[in-house]
Amino acid sequence: MKITAIYTSLLALVAAGAVNADTAQFREAFLAGEVDWAAVEARAKDEGSVNLYYWGGSDLLNVWMDRVVAPALEGQGVELNPVRITSTKDAVDLVLAEQNAGASEGSVDMIWLNGENFATLKRQDALFGSFAPLLPNAANLEWNPEDERSVLNLRDFGVETGGAEVPWSGEQYVCAYNSDRVAAENVPSTFEALRSYLEENPGKFTYIKPPHYIGNTFVQEAIYALNPDGTGAEPFQQSSDQIPAAELARLITPGMEYLRDLEPLLLDAAGGSPRYPEDNAALDGLFLNGEVDFSCTFGLYSVATGLATGSYPEAAQQFVFPEGHMIKNKNYLAIPVNAPHPAASLVLANWMTSVEAQASKLQQTGMPSGIDIWKLDEAGAKAIAEASPGLVGVDQATLDANAAPDTNATLVDVIEATWLEYIERDSSDPIETIVTRAYENLTK
Amino acid sequence: MAKKFNIALSSRLSPFQKFYLLVIAGFILGPFIPLVIQSFAFRWAWPDLLPGTWWLEQREKAMAPLAWDYVLSPYSRVWEATVNTVFIGTIVTAICLAICLPAARVLAREKFRGKSAFEFFLSLPLIVPEAAIGIALLMMFIRLGLAGSYVGIILAHLIPTIPYMVRMLTAVYQGLGRDFEEQAMILGANRWQVLRLVTLPMLLPGVVAGALFTFLVSTNIFLLTFFLGQGQIVTLPTLLFSKIAGGTLDASAAGITLIVTLPGIILLIISERFIKEEAFGKGFGN
Repeated sequence: MKITAIYTSLLALVAAGAVNADTAQFREAFLAGEVDWAAVEARAKDEGSVNLYYWGGSDLLNVWMDRVVAPALEGQGVELNPVRITSTKDAVDLVLAEQNAGASEGSVDMIWLNGENFATLKRQDALFGSFAPLLPNAANLEWNPEDERSVLNLRDFGVETGGAEVPWSGEQYVCAYNSDRVAAENVPSTFEALRSYLEENPGKFTYIKPPHYIGNTFVQEAIYALNPDGTGAEPFQQSSDQIPAAELARLITPGMEYLRDLEPLLLDAAGGSPRYPEDNAALDGLFLNGEVDFSCTFGLYSVATGLATGSYPEAAQQFVFPEGHMIKNKNYLAIPVNAPHPAASLVLANWMTSVEAQASKLQQTGMPSGIDIWKLDEAGAKAIAEASPGLVGVDQATLDANAAPDTNATLVDVIEATWLEYIERDSSDPIETIVTRAYENLTK
Repeated sequence: MAKKFNIALSSRLSPFQKFYLLVIAGFILGPFIPLVIQSFAFRWAWPDLLPGTWWLEQREKAMAPLAWDYVLSPYSRVWEATVNTVFIGTIVTAICLAICLPAARVLAREKFRGKSAFEFFLSLPLIVPEAAIGIALLMMFIRLGLAGSYVGIILAHLIPTIPYMVRMLTAVYQGLGRDFEEQAMILGANRWQVLRLVTLPMLLPGVVAGALFTFLVSTNIFLLTFFLGQGQIVTLPTLLFSKIAGGTLDASAAGITLIVTLPGIILLIISERFIKEEAFGKGFGN
């Protein structure tokens, strides 16, 4: 039986070799614009299936994938194979392991990701190439670099997307409070007000622990808001090559010091050391149980969906915090270079950026639209607007007015390392030393 | 009869022993109680002793299936994962037995140079971290075309299971002297008859225990399954991990957790009966 297995695998290898040359050819021709969309669709039918790797922790999203996406692709002759993963990094590791093993044909056709995971694939040259602007539904996205609203399509955590990933969902970092426990006039809107609130009510707040990206985002917002030059997010758009370690250290020092001073006021700090939840499910649990009064996470509609699934307390309301520095970003779908079904991936990517897909995703999962409303016709814009589960306690205009861009991915690494060193390990080194060390590790 | 037995048992137990039994039962059953309640909850917040809102109250209003509706729907993939888990576990156990029975016989009965070093060597896979084995195997299996296949996962599962099985069976063989087999031979049994009628029945309790253990280990392996299945072969542990990585259990995660315990519980019950009836009933005869 073993011998048969080895034979079959050898055969598979030979066959894979033949397909490889073909997929590489297809990739080059498609990226050069030589394949028309009808040919892509025809090839997708031949490929027959597509393996989409995505974080599988949300029931709503899992149901949507099976209920809506799978039948839609079925209609185009492609079988969707949704692979639920625990952490997006696992899928990235899988792609890289397969690439390093020399298999030019892997198992991952598409990954839902952003930020560091995208930057890693890009650095390792593991991306399919600039496919996004070539999709028919690319018309639903703003690609003109002169329009400043295009920034989230062209840059992912400051890293140029280069069209190697297509926006799927847009998010903003929004905090919620439990109005049963906090009076509206006591809700903080700045970091100073948050500290005063916690001095009155010690232990009633915490944030997700970096290196989780939601925790990193909270740290970034503190750094923006306490930027000693008062320039907010602006200097953090540069990459680590453009901004010297000493300068970065100077800019982040007030934010880091604020967070260190805040530690004794955080959840459980009275018992010795503060407790930072590991991810948003854990934070949701603390918020639901009233152990904390506020919960900050990426999720424009997190309160509406949290109420619909019972994971948020009934009196939860969103609020503006911190004023002018509410980080906004997008998350994306990327195709790895060794995708075994490239044409089917393109068909999936195109469907995912359609108005139909975005409206049903918004309605059924509460994940905000990733396509740009102003690029849609009237009917499309209306469909998206009607699908929204609704904001609770704030309005879109206020959120837009307080939006801030994300930090450059290379700086995120440095800031994360600094937080871990300065706050978690309570290092006595000055921030500048820590930042310099993080820079050195970065180049290694 | 059973009642009599109970009375006999309880009269023999001192109050302390009874208390001790209760505590152990509490430790074993205790964790299941909140899990069962959670699996029927919609919103269960501290400090409520019971959920404030139950799943059934929200069932009609929900946009997607909640709690057990989700767990038992095809969306949750629970059925697929259970079939995969039991299938992989069974094959792994069978192969593991086939490899370990002869190996244990030799290890228990023969003396050869380097035997203790060899025994130590056999336990090595338990010391190397699973992640390291996983990545290294993945590299090899990709080249062999075994990645993402059942064969790949089964081969990988043999790595952490063989050391346990060999150790257990060696101990069992050591406890079984050669005398019984020699007796049977003197009485005219051939080798096959000895194996079938003497050796196996006497080994059976140990073999069943080893097989049970192997099966349970195999059904709990997450990392190796994820890497070598490339995430595409869903088993109960991979399914559960993607649900509860958050650290909080919602209703559907609680439901899936309960389902995950089922194969083990069923197997325990079956093997319990099997050991009693087969080994001591038929094996020795009356």
